[in-house]
Amino acid sequence: MLRHLFKLIWNKKGSHSLLIIEIWASFMVLFGVLSLIVYNVNNYLQPIGFEYEQVWNLDLASNQDTVEVAAKLQRVLQRIRSSKEVESASRMSSNTPFSANQMSNSVTYNKVGVGADFYHTDSELAKTLDLSLSAGKWYKEADRVSKFTPVVINSKLREKLFIDENPLGKVIVQDGTNNFKVVGVVDQFKAKGEFMADHPAIFLMLAKDDSWNSNILVKTKPGTDANFEASLVKDIALMLPGWGIEVSYLKESRENRHKLTLVPVLIFLIISGFLLTNVALGLFGILNLGIARRRNEIGLRRAMGATEGKVTIQFLGEIWVLATLSLIIGLLFAVQFPIMHVFDIASGIYITAILAAIVIIFIIVTLCAWYPSRQASRIHPALALHEE
Amino acid sequence: MLFNYIKIAWKVLLRHPFYTFITLFGISLTLTVLMVLTSFLDHLFGAHYPESKRNRFLYVATVLQTDSSHTSMSSGPATFAFLTKYAKTLKTPERVSIFSNFSFSNTYVNGKRIKLNTKYTDADFWYLTDFEFLEGKPFNEQNIKNSDHVVVITDALRDQYFEKDVGPVIGKYVEIEGVNYKVMGVVKGSPATRLYTYSDVYFPYTAPKSNYENKGMRGRYVAIVLAKNESDIPEIQSEFDSKIATISKADIKDGRNFSILIVKAEKYFEHFVNTFARENKQKIFAYTIAAFVLMMFMGLPAINLVNVNVSRILERASEIGVRKAFGAPSKALLLQFIIENIFITFIGGVFALALSFLVITMINSSGWIAYADLTINFTVFLISIAVCLVFGLVSGVLPAFRMSRLKIVDALKA
Repeated sequence: MLRHLFKLIWNKKGSHSLLIIEIWASFMVLFGVLSLIVYNVNNYLQPIGFEYEQVWNLDLASNQDTVEVAAKLQRVLQRIRSSKEVESASRMSSNTPFSANQMSNSVTYNKVGVGADFYHTDSELAKTLDLSLSAGKWYKEADRVSKFTPVVINSKLREKLFIDENPLGKVIVQDGTNNFKVVGVVDQFKAKGEFMADHPAIFLMLAKDDSWNSNILVKTKPGTDANFEASLVKDIALMLPGWGIEVSYLKESRENRHKLTLVPVLIFLIISGFLLTNVALGLFGILNLGIARRRNEIGLRRAMGATEGKVTIQFLGEIWVLATLSLIIGLLFAVQFPIMHVFDIASGIYITAILAAIVIIFIIVTLCAWYPSRQASRIHPALALHEE
Repeated sequence: MLFNYIKIAWKVLLRHPFYTFITLFGISLTLTVLMVLTSFLDHLFGAHYPESKRNRFLYVATVLQTDSSHTSMSSGPATFAFLTKYAKTLKTPERVSIFSNFSFSNTYVNGKRIKLNTKYTDADFWYLTDFEFLEGKPFNEQNIKNSDHVVVITDALRDQYFEKDVGPVIGKYVEIEGVNYKVMGVVKGSPATRLYTYSDVYFPYTAPKSNYENKGMRGRYVAIVLAKNESDIPEIQSEFDSKIATISKADIKDGRNFSILIVKAEKYFEHFVNTFARENKQKIFAYTIAAFVLMMFMGLPAINLVNVNVSRILERASEIGVRKAFGAPSKALLLQFIIENIFITFIGGVFALALSFLVITMINSSGWIAYADLTINFTVFLISIAVCLVFGLVSGVLPAFRMSRLKIVDALKA
């Protein structure tokens, strides 16, 4: 049966080669778009790891003020914590959640180096962002021991750095000079939003006299409005003349981040949707014409006793073989992506995308061939042969 | 005769509405995607309000410091002092403006928060850009010298901050981060895609919190150089490069281990490409990907068109047979098919034009980009039509050529 189908296809290789190219190109487009979607969906399915609903980000800039910056920051933090609308507040480096800023460095343990995102924060961050710890605890002021900065790492960094070892109490090194002691592990921390991959992350305790990291995350009580915000900003402006003060809500920054991811995906989805509709319509037309031209052959087969089902299967089989041939060519290109780790994306994502693309192509092809095949199988042998 | 061919083409179109639909769908879809895409690119990179002199602009927007092994790198906008020393002093250009990249702030009015983009500019900024002043006028050198607390705001901010129907707002005050600024002018806002000139509030650079006093190289300021003519641009670039080349090794070090300094005055598009792909290898990679994606998106409908036409031409075999039997030469038949294809392509083009117009109007009014001003680029439209004609001809003429050489007997038999 299969051999027969191959022979039928081979006999008309001229016109079939165009069909093969068309299916191949559709597969490549689908593969590209699906990789993008699978990558994002895969990221989205993993929990973000922290609460952002009620959290504000206060971005302070000291500008030309260089006098006692650290003390001033400390005073502002006290002022914020003393408000009754505030649940907790915590200082953080400028790479606050959902911001465009990034800080990464390499950390080493047992000669294994791993790149990780560095977040400089204080002892209150776990409370402000509701981070859940899977081991150990969040660092406190008392954890600071002479030359070791207490740090908390996320599970991803733990996996890469410690594999099976217990990380608590271990010392990791940055640049051979800075020593960090791990006191806790958090589950996940996808700081750039749900669509970001879970990168290795490390939280470092801010030095007491730090004047460089001047962002403050403020978790407010539910129902707090812009009036409190306005009065808070006014107070801070009085405390810090000449400083820049910018308030943003993490909830809003998150939406902006999401737009950055979703808009391109949506554009690609719309365009490729139209392209595939176009291809499907074309395929349907071509198959319809092709089958209509083979009435005699069908009539003969029916006269020789082939059932309706068998004729349908023959035509469906032909298009399946054709699709398989194009997919094999397509796979030659597509498998390069997981093999060569293009764009540093896990090969599982590419493979899922390839499988999904194959399934969709077969569905499209079957849908397009179904109606013409059924139509063909219903041809009455007497009529078909009579035309001859 | 021409009229006859078109009449036949029209009848053929009407005979099988479904196939006509497939053909037109393919042509108009490809053209629409192409036109919307180029219109968007034109929106991003073309010369539009308020940078309509962009063809004469050179942007000095990134200072890149690195060491010879590229292990540590710092790149971003420059300080005001750096640009004053190396860009403002250029001899060849007509004017040079220095202003900050936009930053964020908030202002509060009636318990409502307004998010702001702020920008600190010099007086030449208003000479280089062609902002339309709805009220008042820009601040001048004198305001800057006196460190006046004045601002120019956009109409969008005016409508949000002040009550409706208060009449002119010139001379009224806006409070931002505890400082009161007097409104000097109201400009028509620009889309956020004009990355360097877009803002809600424009302060003179001597206003508080501008940080123009900072020393060193990296800060938050960028410069636009306006050339007298487009042809002056290479000359300005070489003058700027030679100025940068005079910076001493010690200055390049900038308190760290940097040994290489890259600062360029570039045209907008080059600048944009260079931010994403600094090395040639990356650039080639990016261009290849873009070409591949474009090829796929244009190639797929093209192959489809070819496929449908190749399958359909057999339908016309008997017609060709009859015409040949009555003495029509192959040339005449070929001409007929060419005219038919051009006719169909133009119908597709008309649909595409209408569709793109619809899509672009939708984008403009959707608020997806505030102040969006996308337009249909007719040069692009003509090029796209030409591309489609090529597809149409290839897909229609090749099979037609084969058919026109068919023996009359065979043609009539089919």
